[in-house]
Amino acid sequence: MEKKTNKNRATWYKLDLSANVYPTLQRKNFSSVYRITIIMKEEVDPPLLQKAVDLALPRFPAFKVALRKGLFWRYLEPNDRPGPFVQPDIVNPCMPMSFKANNRYLIRIYYYHNKISLEMFHSLSDGNGALYLLRTITAVYLRLQGHEIPNRDGVLDIHEEPDPEELEDAYIRYASSRVKPARTQGSAYRVRGTKEPFYTLNIISGIMPVDKILKVARSYKASITEYLNAVLLYSLLEKQKADHVFREKPVKLALPVNLRKFFPSITLRNFITMVYPSIDPRMGEYTFEEILVQVHHYMRYYINNKFLNADITTNAATQQSPFIRIVPLFLKDFVVRQFYIRVQDRQSTAGLTNLGIVQVPEEMKPYVERFDVLMGQPFSARTNCAVVSYENTLTISFASSIVEADVERIFFRKLVSDGISVKIESNRETED
Amino acid sequence: MSYCVNCGVELDKTCKVCPLCNTKVINPKQPPDTAAPKPFPSLEGHAEQVPRRDITILMTVILATTAVVCGLLNLFFFQFGSWSLYVIGICVVLWIFFLPLFFSAKLNPYVSLFLDGLSIAMYFGIIAWLHPGRGWYVQLAVPIIGIITVLFLIFAFCLRYRHRSILSLAAVVLAEIAVLTICIELLIQHYYQEPLALSWSAVVLTCSVIIDGALITILRRSGLRNEVRKRMHI
Repeated sequence: MEKKTNKNRATWYKLDLSANVYPTLQRKNFSSVYRITIIMKEEVDPPLLQKAVDLALPRFPAFKVALRKGLFWRYLEPNDRPGPFVQPDIVNPCMPMSFKANNRYLIRIYYYHNKISLEMFHSLSDGNGALYLLRTITAVYLRLQGHEIPNRDGVLDIHEEPDPEELEDAYIRYASSRVKPARTQGSAYRVRGTKEPFYTLNIISGIMPVDKILKVARSYKASITEYLNAVLLYSLLEKQKADHVFREKPVKLALPVNLRKFFPSITLRNFITMVYPSIDPRMGEYTFEEILVQVHHYMRYYINNKFLNADITTNAATQQSPFIRIVPLFLKDFVVRQFYIRVQDRQSTAGLTNLGIVQVPEEMKPYVERFDVLMGQPFSARTNCAVVSYENTLTISFASSIVEADVERIFFRKLVSDGISVKIESNRETED
Repeated sequence: MSYCVNCGVELDKTCKVCPLCNTKVINPKQPPDTAAPKPFPSLEGHAEQVPRRDITILMTVILATTAVVCGLLNLFFFQFGSWSLYVIGICVVLWIFFLPLFFSAKLNPYVSLFLDGLSIAMYFGIIAWLHPGRGWYVQLAVPIIGIITVLFLIFAFCLRYRHRSILSLAAVVLAEIAVLTICIELLIQHYYQEPLALSWSAVVLTCSVIIDGALITILRRSGLRNEVRKRMHI
């Protein structure tokens, strides 16, 4: 139960349904951290950016928090320590985030030339919530530079009190299905590769025009997300073929779905669920067109408010069960971690998230080049893919903890062969 | 702008090789721009180490209280012998053993291991002081603790800077076991003033040499090494 102060601010927050899982997966070399970057048209002024962060962050009380342990659950507590402080960007983003470091803040803000990057621990919010924070910080930053930026299209008014709905656990509100489908999906093919040493995250980003990719997707009678899903499935199938595995397995993607599109919530906290489009090569050889048809029908069939409601109800029922609630936290941590390692992590080959089209106020557009999103370090040695579009620029970023870039290579070559011009940027070491 | 001849993708002007296929960029009209800022920074980040102040204070208080209370009990109530020295000694040893937990970021691991050896020698010193006789402490305990400490330091060095594979570490451990057994046997003979000669430690030495020889051969031959890794991977 969230307790209210006289200023309508909570003194602590329960973790939402998805947020409970991420801290249990915390290891010395892994945290569930993702990154969203805004690329400006001019160099970033760090002291001004710090001012903007200091002004904007109090508007987001659910992000200005520290993660604490209770006897049965973790919870978020308002954090009034100094910070978070902006810092120069690093080559290995999304590095592990200790809950006690960084003055207990669970967000990091970096700058590099014309880039502002926001890294957030997944227990605070999903990409949608983080995007609101980043756009508001950028708007405040531009205002400090003397530009007029209105509060709309993802920019929140830093002088108004947050709407209580922004802070709610929307899962509990909308989970109302009378049936609870099974949670497990069966195991999937896992990409094999040479694990990179600790503190290495390989990034390969492909930048392309939205109109070109939309034209190609339309030519296949699919949406951009369906098309990109199909290309990634195709790349993973090719990789499995090239690996000459002893026993083939289905190739599955873990695809987070933004539930705000299906349930009228304005929460800034996590409100996503996973669907798993898949192709089983044991049934026979699939052509790319067949993969796309399969993905198209899967997504039309499963991604609607009824199926998604049933899915979140399963998760909500687990968390609300009185038997689970009275189990001490350390036992919950152990069971959830084991379930994740043995079941959840094995049921997808790669992750793919699409943040969709990012809107910003018209007055902000002259100063913004594009957005980038990184899904962060994968839990096991594999590659994750994240997509975001802004105006006519679509960016696809792969984050991988393995040396080989086979999946990325097949993926981008397929886009090029479909007639899409792709520009590649990477942090992989280049030949000196 | 340069394109990869294999992948067909446009490359960033700072790229020297294609990040997808490692093909070198050779564009006489536009060689890679080394002056322009790269799309990603080169600064490597490291997670911030958190000083464990609370646990340091808690452990210090618990150990110090135990030592002081036992000392007082020994002084005023249970006055038979100097039994509290055992408890005080073990509290000091435990505190020194916990040092890496308290100051993980700052403490040099070699210094920590050396202090561990020193604290164990001190504890044996307390026992020797309470039970004097025959010089076992100077002639046996101190040299054996010293040798074990040095062997631990060598192992820590190998773990940190040298070979990290299970096979090479196993070779180091076996060699250290052989050295330790030889030293122990020679020290015991010296203590009892017997002529120095190897007997049971020679058996350990022979086994270690055979296994180490096999391990080194496997490590040197890449084919063998990969075969072992393939069959024994966990």
